[in-house]
Amino acid sequence: MTTLELDTHILQRRKLWRRVGRSAGIRIGGGLLVLIAFIALFAPLLAPHDPIAQDLTRRLLPPFWQMGTDPSHWLGTDHLGRDYLSRLIYGARVSLGIGLGVTLCAGLIGTMLGLLAGYFGGKTDMLISFIITTRLSLPIVLVALAAVALGGASLQTLAIVLSLLLWDRFAVVVRSATQGLRNREFVQATVSFGASSLHVMLRGILPNLRNTLIVVATLEVANVILLEAALSFLGLGARPPTPSWGLMIAEGREQILFDPWLIALPGSALCLLILAVNLLGDGVRDALDATTS
Amino acid sequence: MLPFLARRLIVAVLVALAVSAVAFGLMFVSGDPAVVLAGQAGRAQDVELIRQAYGLDRPIVIQFFSWLGKALRGDFGTSLYFNLPVASIVGERLPVTLLLGSAAFLLAMIVSVPLGIVASLKPGGALDRAALLLAVLGQAIPSFWLGLILIVVFGVWYGLVPISGTETWQGYILPVIVLSYYAMPALMRLTRAGMIDVLGADYIRTARAKGLARLRILLVHALRNAVLPLVSLAAVQFGMMLSGSIVIESVFAINGLGRLAWESLLRSDLPVVQAIILILSLIYVTLTTVADLINAWLDPRLRSA
Amino acid sequence: MIRFRIAALAGAIAFASLGLSAPPAQAGKADDTLNAAFALEPEALDTYKIAGREGLILARHIYDGLLYKDLDSGEIKPALAKAWRFVDPTTMEFDLREGVVFHNGAKFTADDVVYTLNTVLDPNYGTRFRIAVDWIEKVEKVSDFQVRIKMAKPFAGAVEMLADALPIYPAAYFKEVGSAGMAAKPVGTGPYKLTEMTPGIRYAFERFDGHYAGSPKGKPAIGKIVVRTIPELNTQFAELLAGKLDWSWRIPPDQAARLASRIQIVNGPIMRIAYVGLAVNAKGKDYPTKNLLVRRAINHAVNREAIVKAFAGGASQVLNAACNPKQFGCAQDVATYAYDPAKAKALLTEAGFANGVDIEMVFAAMPRPVAEAVASDLAKVGIRVTLNEQQYAAGVQKWRAGELPAFFTNWGSYGTGDVAFIISNFFGGGADDLVQDKEVIDLVTVADTAQDRTLRQENYAKALKKIADQAYWLPMYDFNINYGLSSSLVFKPHPDEFARWWLSSWK
Repeated sequence: MTTLELDTHILQRRKLWRRVGRSAGIRIGGGLLVLIAFIALFAPLLAPHDPIAQDLTRRLLPPFWQMGTDPSHWLGTDHLGRDYLSRLIYGARVSLGIGLGVTLCAGLIGTMLGLLAGYFGGKTDMLISFIITTRLSLPIVLVALAAVALGGASLQTLAIVLSLLLWDRFAVVVRSATQGLRNREFVQATVSFGASSLHVMLRGILPNLRNTLIVVATLEVANVILLEAALSFLGLGARPPTPSWGLMIAEGREQILFDPWLIALPGSALCLLILAVNLLGDGVRDALDATTS
Repeated sequence: MLPFLARRLIVAVLVALAVSAVAFGLMFVSGDPAVVLAGQAGRAQDVELIRQAYGLDRPIVIQFFSWLGKALRGDFGTSLYFNLPVASIVGERLPVTLLLGSAAFLLAMIVSVPLGIVASLKPGGALDRAALLLAVLGQAIPSFWLGLILIVVFGVWYGLVPISGTETWQGYILPVIVLSYYAMPALMRLTRAGMIDVLGADYIRTARAKGLARLRILLVHALRNAVLPLVSLAAVQFGMMLSGSIVIESVFAINGLGRLAWESLLRSDLPVVQAIILILSLIYVTLTTVADLINAWLDPRLRSA
Repeated sequence: MIRFRIAALAGAIAFASLGLSAPPAQAGKADDTLNAAFALEPEALDTYKIAGREGLILARHIYDGLLYKDLDSGEIKPALAKAWRFVDPTTMEFDLREGVVFHNGAKFTADDVVYTLNTVLDPNYGTRFRIAVDWIEKVEKVSDFQVRIKMAKPFAGAVEMLADALPIYPAAYFKEVGSAGMAAKPVGTGPYKLTEMTPGIRYAFERFDGHYAGSPKGKPAIGKIVVRTIPELNTQFAELLAGKLDWSWRIPPDQAARLASRIQIVNGPIMRIAYVGLAVNAKGKDYPTKNLLVRRAINHAVNREAIVKAFAGGASQVLNAACNPKQFGCAQDVATYAYDPAKAKALLTEAGFANGVDIEMVFAAMPRPVAEAVASDLAKVGIRVTLNEQQYAAGVQKWRAGELPAFFTNWGSYGTGDVAFIISNFFGGGADDLVQDKEVIDLVTVADTAQDRTLRQENYAKALKKIADQAYWLPMYDFNINYGLSSSLVFKPHPDEFARWWLSSWK
């Protein structure tokens, strides 16, 4: 690296950080995410009650804005008399972990497959398209049922199943985007300079997929969290009494007509988390765009 | 073009085979159909008899090939639960799901693509922010919640639409809205991201410099290149809608494929599950093929591939 | 964002008061149609192959049996058979009713009885529950209107079984179309005939005007019935509130209480009970539940009163004996285990588990919150439960294979008011019996086959005492069902979970 290159490199990085600092999206989104992570990390200190302690004599107490609340449970209690606020606080751990973790794993798998299929085309593409379509045709629930029958229900099983299943959108989108990019001049130029395929894919194409990847990833976070909920509710995921936002939504479902707050609260928490991820994603993307152009 | 289609056809057959085999195996792993059939009051001897009566005591591989052989001849067997031909049961529910899925897909595209384009024109602008907020909300509101709210407001309060069922066309209104809103954020955001990418590209600037009309640039040059990933994702989303949504079909008491698949899975109704999975794989293969064809048409450079 | 949250909360509050403005509706009274909804899909309408309650209910409206049990008076009434007697302990003779016609116009004779029963006896036919027919050796025609049932073994439940559980099909039609044909187009002698069917989705019935005079089911007051599958309970509530539905059932207590002010809620007890089976003799597995002290600790640890109050509601009560108190032979003077966590802890310590013990408990066909409440109570005394929910089939399979120390589920005794249909299954030495207590098995076997009611009662009482004393089960509670009805419908619930719409009428 020449001195000049090094200088521009450092300069770019400084510029990037300045942009990051200035972007409202990153500040709000990042702030929210840090806050949720903080809540998740220090849940034992923040929660007013034990999130799994039941009290059947104090079931379905309403939250503070309704009549007949209990001051010690200001967000009410659930159908087993567990403190809703404490469960929300602890729930951040599961939702955050599963949502981000699974998206990351699935994203890696999907991006890799999509890149290979889109870049090489031909037989590779056929094989990977075959895998993608096979995966799409298999109902997730069937796979989850079988996995649970084999390995027992747990968050780990669920995380593995979802990671191995939810890469389809990444793969599909990356594949077609790669196909579009492969024939562009700048990629072709790199190829003609004799760069290895790996180098072209990782240096030439991948950076250009950033926007698409960020979009798919932010969408996938929400998808994963809601799926975790659905599967946990069916007994195929988080083992009770583990609190998770998704599971709380699923549990509140039966009461939805009369106690909609049971869904509104974890739903709002989920909404905040997704908003944070979205804002951060968009912000980072904008900042990167501005720096490189 | 023809070799392309031929290759795709081979893939389709392979996919259908692979999926059927995997699903068959998974079904046996996840529960013994004979025990499920015997029901809650079934005793061990009942289970044994059912196993023999339905040929469930044969090795799985043999059962699979016997099923496959019949399926190839168009005989999907008899539902273990309804004791009726699978074809008639699936045939009863497929049209409902197809209608629902197609309508929802159309609605989703009509709303999300223009919204994505408008949002991309001024990234960070008021319209863009509003669209993004809608997308975030859309992702975070559980479908069954929205479905029930709509039922209570428009069905119970105002009595504008039927609460459940699809006997009349009005019965489709709410489920179509709920099914499509869930796909909108993804489609909208991808359109927006693609458009932002393309609008910044050199050739659009060139086009602008050449003084081409703004709308023409937008729709002909930019959109054409921005939609490549969108077409692929749309195909997947469409496939998901066509395969039916368990949640939406449950809430609106719609008897479509999604719920049939789900219920049949739970009661280990093997022939029905197998038939549905076969249909699903065919739908997905068709859709991905169509998506590839559209992409090739949109981007001539892909044709050499 | 904050503004959004407030809006969401406001929306939620507004929503909480929803659905209240619906006018009390007449539902189907105006066009004499009873609109009913099930959450689960009915099976094919060949009674002999139905395991689910929904399909059986519909089938009983279409078909009749030889006998009929009037649950209100408890007496067995003549139905397709106008008289019956035991010729010897294993031979029953029936005089059949003349002048009965099927929905397709065919006349009912002895041939129908002989062909139907002999067909479903054949193991190849695939009759769901062998227990329902395996006591019959063969059925013989004596004359056109007289048949004899030769029993394979003395069976105390014979009369109960013949009372509407074994319907008679029209022989000629049944012979022609088989089981699949009966499922596609059922033909019976019952009070209603099926006019339209989309399997699993919608079933339309019309009163059968040719239903025989003197039928114990009587002539129905309501002309038409339409039954639909509405899987989501909240959607059922919305339909009830909007007056689109006349009948729905299995409404959870919390929601029933909320609905009660706006629609008609009727509550009725049923035969079904909830229990936790504890593996004692689990195919060589050495679970903590093998230890009597641990089983007693479990019985003392669970606050069943609180659970019943919170989740079962209605007429449900805590059980002590391993049966439903409404059943014949369900002796109540057995050992009881009061809620006493301290005692449970002491028992565990005595058993050598001072530091607690880990067990897996699978629950199936039970509301999840109830299972969680049980697990939480057990955890409080040091019994750490790994709770897994499974489909009933998968759960019962594991249980039979001895892979589970504890299995939490329910049992409906086929809706029958006789303990033979519950303790013989779980303590009679069969596949579900993971206790294999020789003494209990002997007592139950004698009681099952004896004709003398007093002897049966005594033996069952002894068996139940031993079961309670050894804490082989954690008996939980008997169920009750909430029915949601339109204000204009008269409906009487029965403990066997069979809806009898032929007894319903409009107010």
